[in-house]
Amino acid sequence: MSEIQDVTGEAIESAVLSRVVTALGGMVLEVTEQNPRRGWVRVDPARIREASRIMFAEQKARLATVSGLEVRDGIDMLYHWCLDSEHYIVTLKALAARPAMEIDSVGQDLPAANWIEREMHDLLGAEFRGHPDMRRLILADDWPEGAYPLRRDFHVPRVDPTGKRETNEWAGARDEKKLQQPPASQPKTPKPGRTLINIGPFHPLQEEMEFFQLYCEGETVVDMDVRISYNHRGIEEFSSRLTWDQVPFLVERVCGICSASHPWAYIRAVEEICGIQAPPRAEYLRTIVAELERLHSHMLWIGLAGHFLGYNTVWMWAWKYREPVMDILELTTGSRIHYANNRIGGVRRDIPPDLYPEIRKAVDSLKAPLELITNAFLDDPVLHARLKGVGVLSKEDALRWGATGPTARASGVPIDARRDYPHGAYEEVDWEVITQPEGDVFAKAVVRCLECFESVKIIEQCVDRIPDGPIAVEVNHVPPGEAVGNYEAPRGETFHYVRSDGGAGPVRHKIRAPTYMNLPSFKSSCIGEHISDVTITLASIDPCYSCTERMARLVDAETGKPLGTFDDMVRISQERTRRLRKEV
Amino acid sequence: MGLGIWGLKRSPWVYHVNVGACNNCDIEVLELLTPRYDVERLGMVLVGSPRHADALLVTGCCTRQAAPRLMEVYTQTPKPCIVFCIGSCACTGGIFRHCYHFARPVDEVIREIDPDAIIAYVPGCPPKPEAMIAGAAAALSTL
Repeated sequence: MSEIQDVTGEAIESAVLSRVVTALGGMVLEVTEQNPRRGWVRVDPARIREASRIMFAEQKARLATVSGLEVRDGIDMLYHWCLDSEHYIVTLKALAARPAMEIDSVGQDLPAANWIEREMHDLLGAEFRGHPDMRRLILADDWPEGAYPLRRDFHVPRVDPTGKRETNEWAGARDEKKLQQPPASQPKTPKPGRTLINIGPFHPLQEEMEFFQLYCEGETVVDMDVRISYNHRGIEEFSSRLTWDQVPFLVERVCGICSASHPWAYIRAVEEICGIQAPPRAEYLRTIVAELERLHSHMLWIGLAGHFLGYNTVWMWAWKYREPVMDILELTTGSRIHYANNRIGGVRRDIPPDLYPEIRKAVDSLKAPLELITNAFLDDPVLHARLKGVGVLSKEDALRWGATGPTARASGVPIDARRDYPHGAYEEVDWEVITQPEGDVFAKAVVRCLECFESVKIIEQCVDRIPDGPIAVEVNHVPPGEAVGNYEAPRGETFHYVRSDGGAGPVRHKIRAPTYMNLPSFKSSCIGEHISDVTITLASIDPCYSCTERMARLVDAETGKPLGTFDDMVRISQERTRRLRKEV
Repeated sequence: MGLGIWGLKRSPWVYHVNVGACNNCDIEVLELLTPRYDVERLGMVLVGSPRHADALLVTGCCTRQAAPRLMEVYTQTPKPCIVFCIGSCACTGGIFRHCYHFARPVDEVIREIDPDAIIAYVPGCPPKPEAMIAGAAAALSTL
């Protein structure tokens, strides 16, 4: 393959990159080989659809995300493709040239790209030819048209510590005219005979605001739509106004339950730009904190899942036994939740050796309760009847929607960034990637329960084998360059793209959280389900979602009369219980 | 002390409103209900609708899309009620106050529709569950 050359004129060493470049053939304009695991390929923007088809169908790659970047000539679209089994990430670059800044939509062929294209339309003003559903996704209803927060010329006025903006005259100022109009992302009017059920934006015990709309025929969900933006804060834009060392504090607040994972993914990207490696002890310390976080997150999910199903005992147990994990996190990092532990080049705080026995003791004390909860969950005949065969996400759909983490692993897709992109101490300890073939809610619960035991194993081995030495290397300067970093957060892979111009902070920082890929897959797992099963199906990817039934309001689409009265509900529940009893 | 306030001080029922948080304050709010902290023994119950609530636990920096919905939730809550701003973001906007999608601090949003609203602040990122309990106790005892 020596005839394929890099942009510098050197032959490409990686067999994977050579194969990809050969497969893409004439559309390749330029190839850059960054290191043995990363390659960047600039392709002809007119043929991006074809290139994406080749990557997905022939190369079996997974679209991690797309990051848009405003450059002099237009918007550079960076399609990050992960070849997980070959431990390689290829980024296809295509330019949407000024003045139109248009490019063919990849989302029309591959649903994984659907949301991200809508987001880039909102934030950058890029146009996607042929996109099936270009409605506003991420900006508020009162956001003015034509103000694109990720463009270079967009400025946000300073805000003082009491929360007052310096001026109300800015590009993103509230558009009063727009408020008079119907919301930007209007629900489709249901067809006759169909009922529209709103869930959200506020919802009992729901942690995040999301607005789901279920279109139902009888009790069967036939279509669904989701509107986000309620929780959109604008972290990506803000990140490009901070310095390299400030960003980890911001990104750990992307999501509180992934507050070890997001900084780690960001730091992996920055360390790759700098070409440095954290000392071994730092990698072990990062692994310990990240696995403790996974334990607390999975136990939290197990508890909430039990709660959604009306099995509150599991909730109370799981959260009670989760407390020792929180104590250890507080003991080792100083905080129960935001750890502020990772920094570029290493970690900020050491774990003194006299704490090792404490960690071991706490982790040991978890084994029996984990067994108890796992058995309570997995051997319960009611839960079998309630969860098996419900909300099935098939392997094909998981791949098409680009699902990650336990959601993908429960559908038989064996991906795990901890194993596929070696880092931390994961290569040096024994652990397994848990997969289940069924794809239903039960399989997702099994994956999470069993992963807890793997985390316990990892922490124990790390504590036993942690080497002595420094906990960080000094980093004085981040050179110009770009890189991606990923980490397997408890919910799935978190993916960061960072670009540096050699200055004090990132010029572009793209963050793709796992739920961003897992959430749209509802479209294939919820449709055809019973309304009462949607609750747990929505919860099964772990967006912390709850009790559909309590907020469901059934209204006849034509007459506006309420349909599901209290008596109807009681009757339906009794019938269902009778049927389940027979099955069990 | 009016009858309303007298009633409010006993067994406050709370409704949890996330208006753009990172989830941490929300986890800690749920933590209050579970065996270690168990606020139900003190008479506080988390309820599923603002119409049943005596107090709103508001978490997160108020985003633009959430601000009008927060006003709606406040309007639905029977008065008198207490609004607890849980966490730095709800108190002032916190780390996110420079972001473009941040609307206004929670207290300003609430005061826009009710200038006499009773608002209590529990700062911290996130405040520990103990701090939330202490904040609630302090707020109730000053009424």
